[in-house]
Amino acid sequence: MSKSTKVKINSIKTYLSKPQNIILILTGILVTFTTIAPIVAIIRDTFQIHPGTIDQYLTGKASGYSFANYTDLFTSKLAKTNLWTPLLNTTILAIGSCTFAILFGGIFAYLITRTNMVFKKYLSSIFIFPYIMPQWTLAVVWQNLFNSNQVTGTSNGLIATLFHINMPAWWCVGLFPCIVVLGMHYAPFAYILIGGIFKNMDANLEEAATILDTPRWKIFSRITIPMVKPAILSTILLVAGSTIGSYPVPHYLGLSTLATKYVSMNVKYTGEASIIAIIMMLFGVAIMYLNQRSLHSRKSYTTVTGKSGQITKVNLGAGRYVIAIVFVIITFFTSIFPIISFAFETFLPNPGDYSFLYSGNTDNLTTKWWITSENITENGMYGQMGILYNKTIWTAFRGTILVAIICCLTAGTIGTLIGYAVSKNRRGKLASYVNSMAFLPYLMPSVAVGAAYFILFSSGKINLFNTYLALVIVGTVKYIPFASRSSLNSMLQLSNEIEESAIIQDIPWIKRMTRIIIPIQKSSIVSGFLLPFMTCLRELSLFMLLCVQGFILSTTLDYFDEMGLYAFSSGINLILIVTILISNFAVNKITGASLDEGIGG
Amino acid sequence: MKKLFTLMLALVLTLALVGCSGGDNTPAAEQSDVQKVIAEAQTMTLEELAKKAIEESSGKTVYGLGNSSRGKSALPLFIEYLQTIDPSYTLEFEWQQPKNNKIFDQLTADGLKDTGTFFMTLIQDGNQIESKMVQTGILDTFIPKEWAEANGTTPEEYTGYLPLQTLNKIFEYNCVNPDKNYTNCWDFVAEGEHGLFMGLESEPVGKNFLMMLTNDTYSAYLKEAYDKLDATKQAYFKATVDEMAKDAEELGLGENGKYALAWIKLWVNSFNEQTDDGPICKTLVDASAVDKFGLLVYSKVRSVEETDTVSVNNLKVAAYQPGYEGIGGYGYCHYLFVTDNSPYPWTACAFIAYMTETVDGFSAWGKDIGGYSSNPEVAKGTEEKYHHSTGESSNVATDTTKDRGLDWWVNDGKLVIEDPVYCSSVAFTVGSWIETLDHYKPE
Repeated sequence: MSKSTKVKINSIKTYLSKPQNIILILTGILVTFTTIAPIVAIIRDTFQIHPGTIDQYLTGKASGYSFANYTDLFTSKLAKTNLWTPLLNTTILAIGSCTFAILFGGIFAYLITRTNMVFKKYLSSIFIFPYIMPQWTLAVVWQNLFNSNQVTGTSNGLIATLFHINMPAWWCVGLFPCIVVLGMHYAPFAYILIGGIFKNMDANLEEAATILDTPRWKIFSRITIPMVKPAILSTILLVAGSTIGSYPVPHYLGLSTLATKYVSMNVKYTGEASIIAIIMMLFGVAIMYLNQRSLHSRKSYTTVTGKSGQITKVNLGAGRYVIAIVFVIITFFTSIFPIISFAFETFLPNPGDYSFLYSGNTDNLTTKWWITSENITENGMYGQMGILYNKTIWTAFRGTILVAIICCLTAGTIGTLIGYAVSKNRRGKLASYVNSMAFLPYLMPSVAVGAAYFILFSSGKINLFNTYLALVIVGTVKYIPFASRSSLNSMLQLSNEIEESAIIQDIPWIKRMTRIIIPIQKSSIVSGFLLPFMTCLRELSLFMLLCVQGFILSTTLDYFDEMGLYAFSSGINLILIVTILISNFAVNKITGASLDEGIGG
Repeated sequence: MKKLFTLMLALVLTLALVGCSGGDNTPAAEQSDVQKVIAEAQTMTLEELAKKAIEESSGKTVYGLGNSSRGKSALPLFIEYLQTIDPSYTLEFEWQQPKNNKIFDQLTADGLKDTGTFFMTLIQDGNQIESKMVQTGILDTFIPKEWAEANGTTPEEYTGYLPLQTLNKIFEYNCVNPDKNYTNCWDFVAEGEHGLFMGLESEPVGKNFLMMLTNDTYSAYLKEAYDKLDATKQAYFKATVDEMAKDAEELGLGENGKYALAWIKLWVNSFNEQTDDGPICKTLVDASAVDKFGLLVYSKVRSVEETDTVSVNNLKVAAYQPGYEGIGGYGYCHYLFVTDNSPYPWTACAFIAYMTETVDGFSAWGKDIGGYSSNPEVAKGTEEKYHHSTGESSNVATDTTKDRGLDWWVNDGKLVIEDPVYCSSVAFTVGSWIETLDHYKPE
């Protein structure tokens, strides 16, 4: 063996002797396959000829490959309907939802962290409820509130019935309600991210400006806002990625987006739908590029010294009560009213039939949706058994818990290891690659990721459609970034000296992790496990293409909502909300971490 | 990092392409094992098939897939029936009901396996069945001997798929305003009308209905109804009918094709899209839905519960009204197939025969109005058992819930019946033309 070979072998041995390097290699291979393989499969699908679809008709072939899907999607008479209009709507929806979420969540974060507003604890807890609820359930509540015979051509909703007010069409269907509903759903994101910075920011700069007699508005616009700019950018990136891939809200509120088009075009334009999915993925890549750029630009905001822990609270005077009451009212409608509405729905004799409210007759209420134990007699249940006896619902509940637990354990563990390894090699190319590849699925729209995996898992070699394994794999890949970001941020705060002193004493890596590193950063790491669990419980867009209804709760809930059986969907919603709240409470009690500490890492 | 990324990408591309290759679906030239079983099964009675099923699947688990959730209710009855022959027989089962057209994706994916997961399927949408399932050899038709006999034919002579039942979607309207009546199918596409209907993309059988209207039989129905309109209404529709003449010629339609295209255009331009028939029914029975109408599955009305503002009495079936002219709705079938890689083909054949040859086998669907067995003897037995014509089987018995039966609907109600072969043949001509039409949005 030559000397140079020995040197190489030794350097490899040295490299592999560090656990973080082995982790990077293994996770690098893993994230490469889990991210790129489905993308490759979906790209291939755009060229493939599918029997019974447009590409077969255009090419006259039943199999093989062709560019027909690209030509038809971009140049046919339907290009505007199938591509350009949904693309425009998706872009506006993403921008609108981000703006709404940042304004709503950001203002709320400022009021909670930087002012002496009252009821903070209550408002802080209640504000995150819309994020806990499946996003389209707010869309259904919106319909139940604002639909009217005169405008939407349906039966009257609550506002039209009780107050005889017919809201205009732009308020009831299309872009506006989609922006509001998604904005409300993601406002907690903005609240947590922006609130985190407001809470911890150095007050020295603002105090210096105050001493120099700078007007308050100028301090706010020239100092405070620039300081939270990175958090605003993060919110934009995370919310935009999520709204682009949102299927159910536009579906229920009648907006044609890329996500809804993907689903509807699959019947006859299967290959073209795959191109739509790729376009959504390109949005994800573009967002990642912007993220990288924003990360670089954040260097110019390192004026936060950490030397001042004191934050000056703005005195709102009498406004501390007024503003708080305004937010109590707003959060009542965004957080409490939907839950009350869900609870009532389960006692209505017919879906959406609020006769008891108009007539005051309590005979117009029923418990049949809960306690009917057979489906032979016609009980006005559309052939279903009551929620307590409905096997479909409880099987789906067990499936959801199973998927959520496994996803949280796998995504949490892999993400934590990635965060640790990247923090130890943060200037290395492999670390940078692993960090980016692991984060990419999060920025890709959920429907597109689901579509890519659906195609990958529907081949002769790998056939995992409608299996929990498929959901676990996809959920893990999608949610690793929750844990990796959370873990990376916390590991970067940790001085290397702590681990180095343990290494000097020859303490094995496992022991260093379990006895030193994890306990120190327990709160952040637990958040990295908790978020995949919470998100998994109510995820639809990601899983809807990979399994049938009755498999997990979100697809079952969507099924009942589509069928108009709101009592069942509302009951499932209540089950989900209670499960999430109990889990959050339990984890909070056991570990001290909670949802509102961890969103967005 | 770029080099690293490129290297990884190349590696994954190669592996993924290798992994994906061989997934193409080529129809078998020779009879498959399942087709051989079917050929033999078509000569056997239900009881003989049941014995074969007992031999094949006792103690096993079967997976079924269907557009109707009620396969889940039919399977336990089938097991009970097999237990009357062999009390020791047991069978575990799981029934899946995909939505959003996923059943075709699921069957296509399952069809790639040597031995599939699903032993049989109950499926709708003749157009896609023909082009995606039958022509590709994923599904095989089994015609039960006694079913064929009941229909005056034999399995060898019968052509087409095996329908379990015909379902009807019919025009129904809110009748709270006594002055508002629909007496002609053209009234549904008149100015200012916005019928509630499921999206054409979310439920393709609705699109099949529109394509079927261009068939000579049904375009003639539309022409006849048009001729019976008064002069004012005729004048209103004439411009659209004339405008469609050129398109009808280009699409190769018959002499009345322009009436079909005119009706389709006006319908697509005006209908108010809903996610499902459930919400449509819920809307129409509400007292506040004055002057609204919908095209929805008949059986939904069975479960409406009477309250202060919701009542079946708020609803009328258009075709039941005296003097009504033209089409009363459309009919589509739930078809039964054995998967070509079925793990339990004998059990599949026996289950299919049980559902199509016995009243009990059909009872999961037969207990409700609006679903009609394809077996005339079973249809008769179902009516004797459930009395749908008197409305007894529904929550409330009114004229609306008194089902007049398939014969009435086809002959008097002028139901537009789906023909898979016709739909498949015009899917990329008439079907694509329909896609270019503007859709209504509330303003």
